[in-house]
Amino acid sequence: MANNEYPQQEQTVDGLRQWLLTTTPCSRLQARAGRSYIAWLSFTRNRLAVIGLGIITLLVLTAVLAPLIAPYHPNVPDLEQRLQTMSMEHWLGTDQLGRDILSRILYGSRLTLYVVVLVAIIAAPLGLVVGTVAGYSGGLVDSVLMRITDIFLAFPKLILALAFVAALGPGIENAIIAIAITSWPPYARIARAETITLRNSDFIVAARLQGAGHIRLIVHHIIPLCLSSVIVRVTLDMAGIILTAAGLGFLGLGAQPPLPEWGAMIAGGRQFLLDQWWVATLPGIAIFIVSLGFNLLGDGLRDVLDPRSGGK
Amino acid sequence: MKRCCLLILMSIFLCCNPVTAKTPKHILVMAAQIDDMISLDPAEIFEFSGAEYAANTYDRLIGYDVDNVAEIFGVLAESWTVADDGMTFTFKIRQGVTFASGNPMTAEDVAFSLQRVILLDKSPAFIISQFGFTPENVKEKIKAVDAETLVFTTDKPYAPTFVLYCLTATPASVVDKKLVLSHEQDGDLGYNWLKTNYAGSGSFTLKTWKPAELLMLDANQKYWDGVPAMRRVIMRQVSEAATQQLLLEKGDVDIARDLGADQLDSLKDNPDVKLHPKPKGGIWYLGLNQKNEALSKPKVREALKYLVDYQQMADTLLRGTMIVHQAFLPMGFLGALEDKPYALDVEKAKQLLAEAGYGDGLTLTMATRNTSPTMDMAQAIQATFAKAGVTVEILPMDGKQALTKYRARNHDIYIGKWGPDYQDPHTNASTFAWNRDNSDEAKSKPLAWRNAWDIPEMSEATDAAVTERDPEKRAAMYQAIQREHQQVSPFVIMFQEIEVAAERTDVKGFILGPSFDSNFYYNVTK
Repeated sequence: MANNEYPQQEQTVDGLRQWLLTTTPCSRLQARAGRSYIAWLSFTRNRLAVIGLGIITLLVLTAVLAPLIAPYHPNVPDLEQRLQTMSMEHWLGTDQLGRDILSRILYGSRLTLYVVVLVAIIAAPLGLVVGTVAGYSGGLVDSVLMRITDIFLAFPKLILALAFVAALGPGIENAIIAIAITSWPPYARIARAETITLRNSDFIVAARLQGAGHIRLIVHHIIPLCLSSVIVRVTLDMAGIILTAAGLGFLGLGAQPPLPEWGAMIAGGRQFLLDQWWVATLPGIAIFIVSLGFNLLGDGLRDVLDPRSGGK
Repeated sequence: MKRCCLLILMSIFLCCNPVTAKTPKHILVMAAQIDDMISLDPAEIFEFSGAEYAANTYDRLIGYDVDNVAEIFGVLAESWTVADDGMTFTFKIRQGVTFASGNPMTAEDVAFSLQRVILLDKSPAFIISQFGFTPENVKEKIKAVDAETLVFTTDKPYAPTFVLYCLTATPASVVDKKLVLSHEQDGDLGYNWLKTNYAGSGSFTLKTWKPAELLMLDANQKYWDGVPAMRRVIMRQVSEAATQQLLLEKGDVDIARDLGADQLDSLKDNPDVKLHPKPKGGIWYLGLNQKNEALSKPKVREALKYLVDYQQMADTLLRGTMIVHQAFLPMGFLGALEDKPYALDVEKAKQLLAEAGYGDGLTLTMATRNTSPTMDMAQAIQATFAKAGVTVEILPMDGKQALTKYRARNHDIYIGKWGPDYQDPHTNASTFAWNRDNSDEAKSKPLAWRNAWDIPEMSEATDAAVTERDPEKRAAMYQAIQREHQQVSPFVIMFQEIEVAAERTDVKGFILGPSFDSNFYYNVTK
């Protein structure tokens, strides 16, 4: 019996693949699933992108499992143990207050993920709505919205975020708001550009003839088509968001102590750089790896989602 | 090919003889944090590095021995007498002293300098004006009788040492009247000019000042007490302590001024560097705002005093740079109290909190300057407070923001440092234990006011101590005030500061005094 099962299973896998790759799908579901599978195949062909995905998956897992895998409490100082080098008790050493750096980095991944996800949730839809409305409406609405966008683009992102945090008061929530406020304009620009090319397409006109209103047109016809390029851009921006959050943390305007925010950890460790290099360097490496992960993932996604590469 | 060989030869040569960046023989280079300096006018200077600048470039009437502050001697004053009424001080001014400009120094210059402080009325003016001087009466009360005699009349009898110590402070620096007045604009007494220029008679003269970048002093070739060995002193702004350490190890600077405990530790075994510690008057404390309902309960205040691990912090985080000290007068001052009644005692604190009705815990914010070591101290304190259920939310901000919040009485807890303005105990007593008007509109705003601590009786005692002329009785009065203060005050006084300068071994004679305006360069040789 056992001998028979194996080929049978292979057959099912083969069957599933055929079902997915068929050129004549029998249902919408099959067509969609097929498209996704093709995209997945082209994504996995890009090794670097897969590495990026792996890093991000690892980040998510770390964030979820931090309390289970961290060997120490991340925030409780132990002054007797300060500035220990790497050892069996403290794999990555301890910081200036004797806290275990490994535990702090593991818990810090939660903050990083928290910042990145919240900024993406706030900034991307905001940019998308502003951009599509501007592009779809044209005229005065377009001018007003785009000039507002221009104003935000006129300042360097970090400086503007600094100003907002200074006004709102330091804290991780305020840092997230500040970063979100400063990072939506590029999405608005992209969405607007895409919308303008779509605005007078036949299918939009056809939908309008069938009686679709402006909101329906924007939400159901235009936004879905802009989404892919915005998603790519958001993923590529994630690295920038992490760096901005770390920058704010470094300047003492992001996460508040004793939270193990990576940027704040670097700031705390920089005075020990000469003799206890690990205090500042290790969180720096964490930031580097995660930023790299998002960049690689973004590159891979662009190859997959870019309409011009047409799912080849 | 020839050229190639030459290049290889040259690189071998360079490798064998590493370029050493030694500082020149007659120039002293220091790495320091001088970004707090905002004015060079002694009537306005109220910052740590500004005071050090004035101490080296201006002379004052009197000075004190940096190792024994009770020893007061004349600098520009040759001698003085105090009249029996305790209000009239007569100074005999040293003859033959010239300013760096070449003008001779007379009693008229001294009178003008002191009057100018009162007339300009900048932040440090209170040090002189507390003797009852106002812009209206100062020309009468501080007067040059002739070229060598100055008469200084206070409004009531004070302890004579109190008056004299105030005359050793930065605002009592003597400026060149003729030179300053030649730059006067619209009756500003030369203020706008002197803010960035120099008109003194000290051992060094100002060469260049680039704010937050560089301060360059040249030896005063006409100095009356001997020309310093160093022809030039350069202070470079280096914000990062780690960078200062690196510069010192490489020999790019002779002295690094702002190293932390851990850097000092790693320099201990370096044969090229020696450490030069000096206890300073700086006191580190927590201010508990009495406007906060919980903190206004005496038992809560007492509990918090039991929730700081003084000894462990001094032994680890701050070792070598601070020592445990729990009274408002720093060691070395008249009447300083060395009792240390508090140590970490979580059980006792819990019990006190429960008695005060906060057995279930309480949440407070702490306004914290986001620099080292304040930030690390705050986090260590946060952890010990948490053991008794007191949650502290640290609000990091830059120094100016934190001070503004503190001065507006908007804080719960403030962690900071207080440095005495002059060597008399009144400087700290008048701020930690004196608050006559606790209203928001009060005219004088001592630390007790900043923490909204209303203390009519203790203010009375402080005022009595400053007019006591017998030093022994006076010391006993201050000790009594401090004992009560330790028990009831909203100040958790924790540490006294030790300043450590890390010097290259060839540097000798750098003087660190007990106060930030008594660090001197004139004896330095190398």
